[in-house]
Amino acid sequence: MSKRLVQLGVLIAILVAWYVATLPGGVHPLLLPPPIPVFRNFGVLLTTSSIWPDLFVTVREWVTAFCLASTAGCLIGYLVSRSGYAVRVFDPLFAGLYSVPAILLFPLYLLFFGLGAGSKIAIGTTIAFFPVVLNTIAGLSYVDKAYITAAKSMGANSAQLFWSVMMPAAFPVILTGLRLGCIVAFLSILGGETISSLAGLGHRIVSLAENMETSQMFANILFAVAMAIIINGLVSFAEARGRRGFQ
Amino acid sequence: MSERRGPLLSPGITRLLVIIGLLVLWEVSARFYADPLFLCPPSQAVMALKHIFSEPKIVKAIEITVYEMVTAFLVSVAFGMTVGLAIGLHGFTKQAILPVVLLLYAIPQATILPLFVLSFGIGPAAKIAFGISHGIFPVIVTTVAGVQNLRAPLLTAAKSMGASRFQVFTSIIFPHMIPSFFTGMRLGMTAVLLGVLLAELYVSTAGIGFYTRLFAESFSPPDLFALIAVLAAIAVTLNEGCRTMERRFSRWHAM
Amino acid sequence: MSGAETVIRIDGVSQAFGAPGDPRRVVALESASLEIARGELLSLIGPSGCGKSTLLNIVGGLATPSTGQVTIAGQVVKGPSPQKVAFVFQENTLFPWRTVIDNVKLGMAFQGVPKSERDDRAQESLKAVGLADFTEHYPSQLSGGMKQRAQLARALGLQTEILLMDEPFAALDEQTRMVLGEDLSVLLARTGKTIVFVTHSLVEAVFLADRVAVLTARPGKIKKIISVEEAHPRKSSFMTSPKLSALRNELYELLHDEIRKTMTLRGETGQSHE
Ligand SMILES: Nc1ncnc2c1ncn2[C@@H]1O[C@H](COP(=O)(O)OP(=O)(O)OP(=O)(O)O)[C@@H](O)[C@H]1O
Ligand SMILES: [Mg+2]
Repeated sequence: MSKRLVQLGVLIAILVAWYVATLPGGVHPLLLPPPIPVFRNFGVLLTTSSIWPDLFVTVREWVTAFCLASTAGCLIGYLVSRSGYAVRVFDPLFAGLYSVPAILLFPLYLLFFGLGAGSKIAIGTTIAFFPVVLNTIAGLSYVDKAYITAAKSMGANSAQLFWSVMMPAAFPVILTGLRLGCIVAFLSILGGETISSLAGLGHRIVSLAENMETSQMFANILFAVAMAIIINGLVSFAEARGRRGFQ
Repeated sequence: MSERRGPLLSPGITRLLVIIGLLVLWEVSARFYADPLFLCPPSQAVMALKHIFSEPKIVKAIEITVYEMVTAFLVSVAFGMTVGLAIGLHGFTKQAILPVVLLLYAIPQATILPLFVLSFGIGPAAKIAFGISHGIFPVIVTTVAGVQNLRAPLLTAAKSMGASRFQVFTSIIFPHMIPSFFTGMRLGMTAVLLGVLLAELYVSTAGIGFYTRLFAESFSPPDLFALIAVLAAIAVTLNEGCRTMERRFSRWHAM
Repeated sequence: MSGAETVIRIDGVSQAFGAPGDPRRVVALESASLEIARGELLSLIGPSGCGKSTLLNIVGGLATPSTGQVTIAGQVVKGPSPQKVAFVFQENTLFPWRTVIDNVKLGMAFQGVPKSERDDRAQESLKAVGLADFTEHYPSQLSGGMKQRAQLARALGLQTEILLMDEPFAALDEQTRMVLGEDLSVLLARTGKTIVFVTHSLVEAVFLADRVAVLTARPGKIKKIISVEEAHPRKSSFMTSPKLSALRNELYELLHDEIRKTMTLRGETGQSHE
């Protein structure tokens, strides 16, 4: 209870500090707009449809990238995990590639796929692929041997072994990979849109910044932040639901 | 199951063969089937390295990027650990500030990138600041988690033996925190690299972003590939450096 | 038990892990031979690492012996035979993502039992082990003893003629395993199954078994077989009887030397571990 109170107090303190900093003689309004117009603009964003076209572009890129990455990641992860030897060949390979900042590929994707949605989908897919594939391999290849032996002793065929033993045992780990992939796909698509794009939330924020409409820009940033937090909450919730019964 | 009669090649060698095979595939397909305006064979990218390194302005841009990465990393680690310890060791600040930190951490940072450029201009300052804004949060969060993992019985035991606050810090808290420090450094490095590179690519009028755009618009993929390969090599070196340190220091610490 | 028909025939079975010449090569079993009669309960006892689990796995078709063979009802074992043999494992192998009853039913699904029969059979076998009130619990919500009983229920649900149990009570405390042992004796006498039961507890071996087979230190061979002439189901008074003590002491004499052997062996190879 008192914890909540402290947190609320800090939040109010930040808002007050923001307000005071933007009083005349404070921070230049182009760098930090006063809070009240920002929240007014945010309200306008929520109640009008002006943001919908850009929102639609970003969401479409994000969903496409996530679907591609999770399909490819699960499939390749499954194929690799079928043999212990393949795991030892490919797992370090994927882990090594993962330590290259994939955003470096974005200029290449711009060259290949243009300024439109293609390059965003490509970067989102690339970045989301790794957590999915690494977790799929980890989940499927470290299933406790005792479960497999037990199932075989009871006569499980290979389809039953996969669907009733391997999958449920690996499921929580794969789910974590999917959650991470879902989030990083969204973040990297916003990043791609910020760097270079024709439409989308990131594009909107950048063009507002370039037109020095900082108050509008802050409202849009607020929108993206709210969206990221909601996405985070939703996928964490989905993961927790998916895990139930696995404790 | 087939543990007994393993394949002839060790996994490392097969991995190398896979990589070589992919490069050969790329070489052949780029040489014979691809549009040279968009894709170049890896051999040409390697040749283009010479061009990249013979151009003082490009070398300068790369140097500046490395400087930005290292500076942003050092600042992130120094500030992040101090803040993390301050937050973690104090019940009140933890309640008050940690949620704020987590909230800031949850912001999709790319959206505030234009703000950094508005505030700090297109030079290294904006990129360093953006790098720090990426790197500092994982360091703080890992440090706080490290403090949380401190086992209370250890502290009680030390206090029962009459240890002073200073002794508690140097002989218990600090040694206990070492693995989290290094984990924080590794995560911080990954984030800093992302932040600096995002900012470099965003600013297309100077630095790396200018050259990637130039090479793309002038349709010279070999130069683009070479530049990206150089940056990737730098990033991997920095990442692996942190990873190696983490491994070494967690090992002797592990009990 | 002489005169009864032999169901399991273990014939000169040897098992080695690792290629000849490999410094890590382990010969787990060396020409072990044994015959087990229909309806008999045989305890396997021997020093740790002598190959008891290995022998059980070979009988159940989960491992192929290096030499020798096992026949069950006249047929050579070549792989798992879920229609004839059910296992209770040393480790807890209940699937943690399924409830107790779903674990039992999954075993039947693997074995090929028609869907319509599974529920009744699962309820029945859970009742037999005293878990009728815990069918909808997850394994993580059960105590150690209940988990082992659930594993037993899963094996019973398969309605096989043969039951192979590998230290099913090893992880439990002394009192619990005594009580479970008594229950098991009653239960098994009723089902009339042929059972091979691996244990480290001398008392448990004598209390449950018709015959106790003592294995030597690795490489494991059958050192001696002791008969326990006592009718099933056994009463708790048998636990405290002089007869049980005498047999237990005899087993202890037999095992003592073997365990000493493994200890000295460990002492000699100890340096290479450091
Ligand atoms: N898959 C394997 N690969 C290599 N060695 C093995 C393997 N399985 C068992 N062994 C070895 O075979 C020997 C016998 O193992 P087993 O598990 O049968 O012993 P056990 O008698 O059941 O021991 P315990 O009473 O401790 O369970 C051991 O020395 C073990 O190290
Ligand atoms: Mg064993």
